[in-house]
Amino acid sequence: MFPPIGNNTSSTTTSYKVVLPFYIYAALMFLSATTFLVLKTNDITKHYFQPYTLAITHMMALGWGTMIILGASHQLVPVLIEGRLFSNGLAYASFVLAATGIPMLIYGFFSFDMGWPAQCGGELIITAIICFLMNIGISIIKSKTESVHAIFVFTASVWLLLTALIGLLLIYNFQYHFLPDDSIEYLPLHAHLGVAGWFLLLIIGVGSRLIPMFLISKYSNVSILWWIYSLINAGLITFIIIFLNNLRRQFFSIPILLITTGVLLFACYCYRGYKERIRKKVDEQMKMSLLAVIMMILPIIFLVFIILLLLITSSENINLIIAYGFVIFFGWITAIILGMTFKTLPFIIWNKVYHHLAGKHKTPNPKDLFSAGVFKWMSLSFIAGFALFVCAVLLKIPFILKPAVFLLLITAFLYNWNVLKLLLHKPVLL
Amino acid sequence: MNVTTNDNLRSTIALAALHNVMDPEIGLNIVDLGLIYQLDFDDPGMKLYCTMTLTTQFCPMGESITDAAKEVLHDAFPEYETIINLTFDPPWRHDRISEEGKNFLNL
Repeated sequence: MFPPIGNNTSSTTTSYKVVLPFYIYAALMFLSATTFLVLKTNDITKHYFQPYTLAITHMMALGWGTMIILGASHQLVPVLIEGRLFSNGLAYASFVLAATGIPMLIYGFFSFDMGWPAQCGGELIITAIICFLMNIGISIIKSKTESVHAIFVFTASVWLLLTALIGLLLIYNFQYHFLPDDSIEYLPLHAHLGVAGWFLLLIIGVGSRLIPMFLISKYSNVSILWWIYSLINAGLITFIIIFLNNLRRQFFSIPILLITTGVLLFACYCYRGYKERIRKKVDEQMKMSLLAVIMMILPIIFLVFIILLLLITSSENINLIIAYGFVIFFGWITAIILGMTFKTLPFIIWNKVYHHLAGKHKTPNPKDLFSAGVFKWMSLSFIAGFALFVCAVLLKIPFILKPAVFLLLITAFLYNWNVLKLLLHKPVLL
Repeated sequence: MNVTTNDNLRSTIALAALHNVMDPEIGLNIVDLGLIYQLDFDDPGMKLYCTMTLTTQFCPMGESITDAAKEVLHDAFPEYETIINLTFDPPWRHDRISEEGKNFLNL
């Protein structure tokens, strides 16, 4: 009458020991990036291709965004494919390699020396990505369950590898000049494969599972997800073709249109999930995650303006480009991480601390393991800091830059505070 | 709440025990949430079969919930071997939530 699932109740939970180092590293890197943002505020608003901007961007993209996503993926992919993670050893290797490579690469950007530390750092990061890709790929192959979400994660990881390979080529090109143009000319290719191929594809793949799940919504539409997957990948491939063949700028409207359609479909998907939720009260973490979905539209709007201005004036609007990068890394990527950290990490800690007590004693709920008040202040400082920074850059109001970056530093501090509170949680029986 | 059973009396005791198992995300017990489908007592084999589901197939707390269900059933019926059959066919639907559960969730 009720057919049991394949392995019945066998474990698909990845050990917290694999996942937590990624979360801790990312939290510290977020704090470091915002600290440097405070220290180098004036420098980073001068041009996007300068040492501190490159360093802070990579701290955010690799140290913050990528590390937390790698950690969370080791936990989530086995759940999505109803299987086990292929190898904890590869996951540890991935962490150690990336955790070593990222500071070396960032040091290279800070000192603007693309010599051995940056080169070696880039190579370590690529090896870390290959370990992750192998681990996820073999886990998916070994599983009998087909999951569109897992395919999103795997494809995004392939784009990440390609992004990192191009990044390493650009570093070597600084020293040996073997590419036809200067490295700065290839920056849009490297950046957009990373942003759309890695972050966008992955966040949509995982978000389309987590957002309805945490809203306790029964909404699911796999065919829309396949459409989104196809649109974004088609957009990326079209972008590469146009970029490498130096086609006219007007052609960039094709990938923008394809990717925008994918993002809008994802926004509709989340909206349907929200409308069909069973629990009417939406918690603060989910509100932040849903805000991140709305914020995904901002970079697209900025990009359209950048291209329009390029077509009209034939010159780059530096402030708009800086704001564009900011709304990506300090905007939707940070917003979704702020929200989802406090949906996923409490479960990991709860499982670590209370799993063996479940059913024997009354235990706190995962949401009780961190401070809701600190989360609320973190959210407010983030939204205020983000909005002020964007206004300061776009409207050229330098005196509000410092308050903006201080608010972001407060956000990072409060985030770390709550992460630490979770990590240090001791069992409490009610 | 709609639980199929071959023994109403002992099933009441089992459900009372399962009331202590919470879905930590929702904060509601798994009985009122409607996660329990079937409870069967196999007296010759001394086995207690509990067929249950989760609110989602990808529930991160799934293992904790099923382990806790097994634990409380074992405590209630120590002489029986408890076997948890996890199923997603049929999938959980919110109309399985009891009236108490609906009140708790403000549905």
